[in-house]
Amino acid sequence: MNILVFVKQVADSEAKIIIKADNKSLEIENKYTLNFFDEFAIEEAIKIKEKFKDSQITVCTYGSKRSIEALRTAIAMGADRAFLIDNAQHPYENSIVVAAILASFAKKEGFDIILCGRQAMDDENAHLGSMIAEFLSIPHISAILKLEIIDGKKARVENEIERGRATIEVALPTLFTTQKGLNEPRVPLITGVMKAMKVNIPVIDPFTLGILKEDLNSYSKKIKLLSYELPANRPPVKIIEGETPEEKVNNLIKILKDEAKAL
Amino acid sequence: MTKDIYVFIETKDQNVRKASLELLSKGKEIAEKLSSQLYAVLIGHNVSGLIEELKPFSDKIIVAEAEILEHFRWDTYGEVLEKLLKKYSPYLFFGASTTTGKDLFPRLSARLKSHIISDAVDIQIDGAEIKVKKPIFGGKVLSWLSYDDDRTLFITFRPNSFAVIKGSYQAEIFIENIEITRDERMNVLSIDKGGSKKVDLQEADFIICGGRGMKGPEHFQILEEIADIMNGRVGASRAVVDSKWREYDDQIGKSGKTISPKLYIGCGVSGALHHTMGMDTSKIIVVINKDQNAPIFQYADYGIVDDLFTILPILKEKLKQAKNET
Ligand SMILES: Cc1cc2nc3c(=O)[nH]c(=O)nc-3n(C[C@H](O)[C@H](O)[C@H](O)COP(=O)(O)OP(=O)(O)OC[C@H]3O[C@@H](n4cnc5c(N)ncnc54)[C@H](O)[C@@H]3O)c2cc1C
Ligand SMILES: Nc1ncnc2c1ncn2[C@@H]1O[C@H](COP(=O)(O)O)[C@@H](O)[C@H]1O
Repeated sequence: MNILVFVKQVADSEAKIIIKADNKSLEIENKYTLNFFDEFAIEEAIKIKEKFKDSQITVCTYGSKRSIEALRTAIAMGADRAFLIDNAQHPYENSIVVAAILASFAKKEGFDIILCGRQAMDDENAHLGSMIAEFLSIPHISAILKLEIIDGKKARVENEIERGRATIEVALPTLFTTQKGLNEPRVPLITGVMKAMKVNIPVIDPFTLGILKEDLNSYSKKIKLLSYELPANRPPVKIIEGETPEEKVNNLIKILKDEAKAL
Repeated sequence: MTKDIYVFIETKDQNVRKASLELLSKGKEIAEKLSSQLYAVLIGHNVSGLIEELKPFSDKIIVAEAEILEHFRWDTYGEVLEKLLKKYSPYLFFGASTTTGKDLFPRLSARLKSHIISDAVDIQIDGAEIKVKKPIFGGKVLSWLSYDDDRTLFITFRPNSFAVIKGSYQAEIFIENIEITRDERMNVLSIDKGGSKKVDLQEADFIICGGRGMKGPEHFQILEEIADIMNGRVGASRAVVDSKWREYDDQIGKSGKTISPKLYIGCGVSGALHHTMGMDTSKIIVVINKDQNAPIFQYADYGIVDDLFTILPILKEKLKQAKNET
């Protein structure tokens, strides 16, 4: 099996984020990590490889030099090789542009299985999986909970649908997006970490992938950032007092009715 | 190009989903400001019974019915919408940021090479310009975005972002007969709709959430009873889901669902950032925790410092009374 996993490096949820004085840029504390949902994608790729021994797992990201760290994490877990598509010269930030670039990488190599996380923790878009699949004219299955490869040609998957689950059989190549519940991502072994430190990660210029500058330009800058703001602060909590638990609950109900109008 | 707004209608158990009615309500407000028309797009099998319910909310209703559309699939629904959007090219196309919306909208936007903003929580008109509000980084920051292009903009909104306001319009009906084919590569073998859960977590007006302080799966029964009284849903922290006391479907937080109910009650939840990111947009937040220093109190409107096992049975009775009085 030729397996491709798209991963993204994102700010850790503990990282401090400050809105700069212009209200149009952010200062993000230097704490980055592999996107939470992408760990399930890498783990699933490794599981497939454990079953189909002659598989190869490729990981790829479109990002800055810093995001090589996320690729190394993937190698440490068990991926075979990694590519960084450099965004330094063309830091277009909208989903169609990124999807077009990632799809052209996938097209060049050709893959049986493509895995993405369900969504990125920074932009929270949940766009790229199905967009890449559309650009490749292959099916996608979102938010999978179980994946089984049958005779190397098709997959039987269970995925989350509205209020339930579906079981689907799909011909390969297909793109799957992963989420919690699919597997338990492994913690890299020290040997994996050593390997990841040494591995050579090629850096690719996106325009060597056969994408046209005009195409990207026509997609870019249509959505503009006007400003950032902080969420409104809630007033300090009111602790509901009372001599007995009954009294506390009575007081709570009263407040919910009269003051909060929530009942 | 027109400034018309289209809303993709989702249905549930032969009803229009509340999230879709919210979008129609907000869509009408925006359409009026743009002096344009609001269209409801109703797709499915045996859905014409819902037309009456939709009529007061919009100017026009486009209906596409076929047996092949009985269950949602991105390929069949996508084909219908692709053809409609190419034919009418509206200015904005609204959907809900639900499991269905997340599966369908990005794929369709890529097909039409149109832009998309997902998981938004507000939209406003400023002069002739639209402004869309979208939380990022788990709600730590809110971004305001504008749009300037002649292609349709796709926007999905979080359920519970807008009030449902029923108008008194008499929408005009357009029936579309569209030829649809399935993507043969994809074969749905079975569908399991989970059964009993009444309200969707993201659409519920009332959520009572249990954390590790609930001590075990058996104690969630009382939360279920309270949720029933309030016509809401039980949610859970990740610690609870990881312990297999509840299913992942119930998880609230950064790696679970983002919710904005009218009332959230947290019981034995400590208030880790990963959890509060999923619930801090709730309108009213009440917490019950025996540790007065638990961080969750910093996110709450009202708090009770006490043992939840003493409080919950009383709360259940009092809520029942309060409900019976109204
Ligand atoms: C990448 C990542 C993603 C995550 N995503 C999520 C997510 O989506 N959602 C989520 O919830 N968490 C998430 N977490 C986990 C999160 O960090 C916390 O570990 C988790 O939310 C804690 O759950 P809890 O509040 O139920 O348990 P605890 O932190 O153990 O809190 C239990 C609380 O119950 C109180 N308590 C105990 N007994 C009683 C009693 N008898 N009466 C009253 N109060 C009592 C205690 O005082 C305590 O405050 C994530 C973590 C990571 C690293
Ligand atoms: N810059 C990127 N490079 C590679 N993969 C990405 C990138 N951004 C997002 N992805 C993948 O697409 C998924 C969904 O991201 P998003 O659409 O941004 O929420 C992520 O979980 C990753 O698997």
